[in-house]
Amino acid sequence: MSDSLRDRIQKFILENYLFTSDQSALGLDDSLLGRGIVDSTGMLEIIMFIEEQLGVTVKDEDMVPENLDSVSRIAAFVESRRKVA
Amino acid sequence: MVASLVDLLLASAGRDSGKAALRRRQATWTYGDLVRGAAAAAVRLRAAGLEPGDRVGLLFRNCPEYVAFFYGALAARLAVVPLNVQERASVLAAQVAHGGARLLVGDPDHPEWVALKAALPADIVTLDVTAVDDDASVATFMQAVGAASGQVLASPAVARDDMAVLLYTSGTTGRPKGVMLSHGNLVANNVTIIDYLQLGPDDVGLTVMPFHFSYGNSVLHTHLGAGATLLLEDNLAYPMVVMQRLQNERVTGFSGVPSTFAILMSRTRIEDFDLGSMRYLTQAGGAMTRAAIQRMRQLVPSARFFVMYGQTEATARLTYLPPERLDEKLGSIGKALAGVDIEVRGPRGEVLPPGQTGELCARGPNIMLGYWRDEEATREAVVEGWLHTGDLAHTDEDGFLYIDGRLVEMIKVGSFRVSPLEVEEVLATLPGIAEMAVASMPDELLGQAVKAVLVLREGASLDERAVKAHCRARLAAYKVPKVVEFARELPRTSSGKIQRFKLS
Repeated sequence: MSDSLRDRIQKFILENYLFTSDQSALGLDDSLLGRGIVDSTGMLEIIMFIEEQLGVTVKDEDMVPENLDSVSRIAAFVESRRKVA
Repeated sequence: MVASLVDLLLASAGRDSGKAALRRRQATWTYGDLVRGAAAAAVRLRAAGLEPGDRVGLLFRNCPEYVAFFYGALAARLAVVPLNVQERASVLAAQVAHGGARLLVGDPDHPEWVALKAALPADIVTLDVTAVDDDASVATFMQAVGAASGQVLASPAVARDDMAVLLYTSGTTGRPKGVMLSHGNLVANNVTIIDYLQLGPDDVGLTVMPFHFSYGNSVLHTHLGAGATLLLEDNLAYPMVVMQRLQNERVTGFSGVPSTFAILMSRTRIEDFDLGSMRYLTQAGGAMTRAAIQRMRQLVPSARFFVMYGQTEATARLTYLPPERLDEKLGSIGKALAGVDIEVRGPRGEVLPPGQTGELCARGPNIMLGYWRDEEATREAVVEGWLHTGDLAHTDEDGFLYIDGRLVEMIKVGSFRVSPLEVEEVLATLPGIAEMAVASMPDELLGQAVKAVLVLREGASLDERAVKAHCRARLAAYKVPKVVEFARELPRTSSGKIQRFKLS
């Protein structure tokens, strides 16, 4: 999996929800909801980021924790969708 | 006689103790489980040295473990202080201290739990109880609280005006504002709501609203009081998951605030789901547009749509609009609940005729005891038994009520009220700010979001990210300004008062 994709996702979440560039503030496998990093609307903003900045359409049925609840999961989801495309 | 919510729970369990009361993920608690769990929790709380009248704080996401402790505390004649899972440790610690809770029960998986324990005074005891989402939930809980055979959940000998719950809500200042609700308040509102929604044992509700929020608290206890089943979610982060549960578990009732329905309509194709089992939808927590109400009704035609209105200070509900009058009275919040009196009053306290806007005042068995340790605020809010809601309203010729605005400036982010002053007080601790103002800004999904406008001191430098980071470290996510603007000066009236509306 590309490190740059994970970095980009991590950076987006750090800047927009934790307001820092300190990478140690967010582990790649940290649960975004479980740790209280994002709430419902934050998750919707992350989906907009995936669609607009990463160029991957998030279908309604894709909006599940398995695809979206950590940096690693989002990166894996984006990569899998890019491969299909 | 029904003296407390415990009696309602016991009656539901008495009718069918094997029926599912609560379901979260793979965890199911029957009414029998809940009664046994609450009995054990009551014993555990007494063993910790708590005595009738003491307060116990609960910090849990929506889970059966919270509910068992809630009823256990009531049975032990304690008052529950439900804490907001979205808040940061510093705010939670202030609420626990202000509420005078002697014991705090919480889920050690909560992200603020460790910091909160560290921030509490040494004399406040904490108890770790992990919420479990699988079929080991009941057994794990019983073990954690040391449940033993022979423990019985007894109806507490309480008076109607004994405090049962201390619910913290956003005040107009930054200081904690605890709404004291009595056993009588909770029972009266619960029974009335069960009656007008016609809730019964065949109902299966689903809640996404947190229990520390008066609407979520009400949805929980009305379903248990009716002997229904309630499915628990915490939020709408994954709207598809919620839609699938509504369909697959044949849910009969769903409650939301306007943003709940906005998110479901924008992020899922509701029409693709079979929601034929849905019997009712309820909406409260602020005005929902007429177009959105009509769209929801078209998408879920089997459901009766209840527009409702209330406040934490009124336990939850004050009015509802009967669904059969919705077309005729769209835009109205309906009429007073049975047992509640409502008047629209002018500035001198006079009752206003239809068409004239004044303050909505309410009287009834659901009106709070007052604000905890704040006699001045209580005297202002409840005058001769009448709650002054701070909401501006008028009636039409048929007596139906319409909300026109609020007397006090509050920002309504989704269902949550945010006091501009609370955010300003946090901003004021940042160095380099000469003056600032916090106002609302329109937000497509949530209705409103928080906006901060700052005037920096000469030579000071501060960027948007640093401001947001400062706020996020001290405030719940929904209170953090979505937009931070820097200005040379703030708009003021001739008397020098900041005109927040010009900032929106």
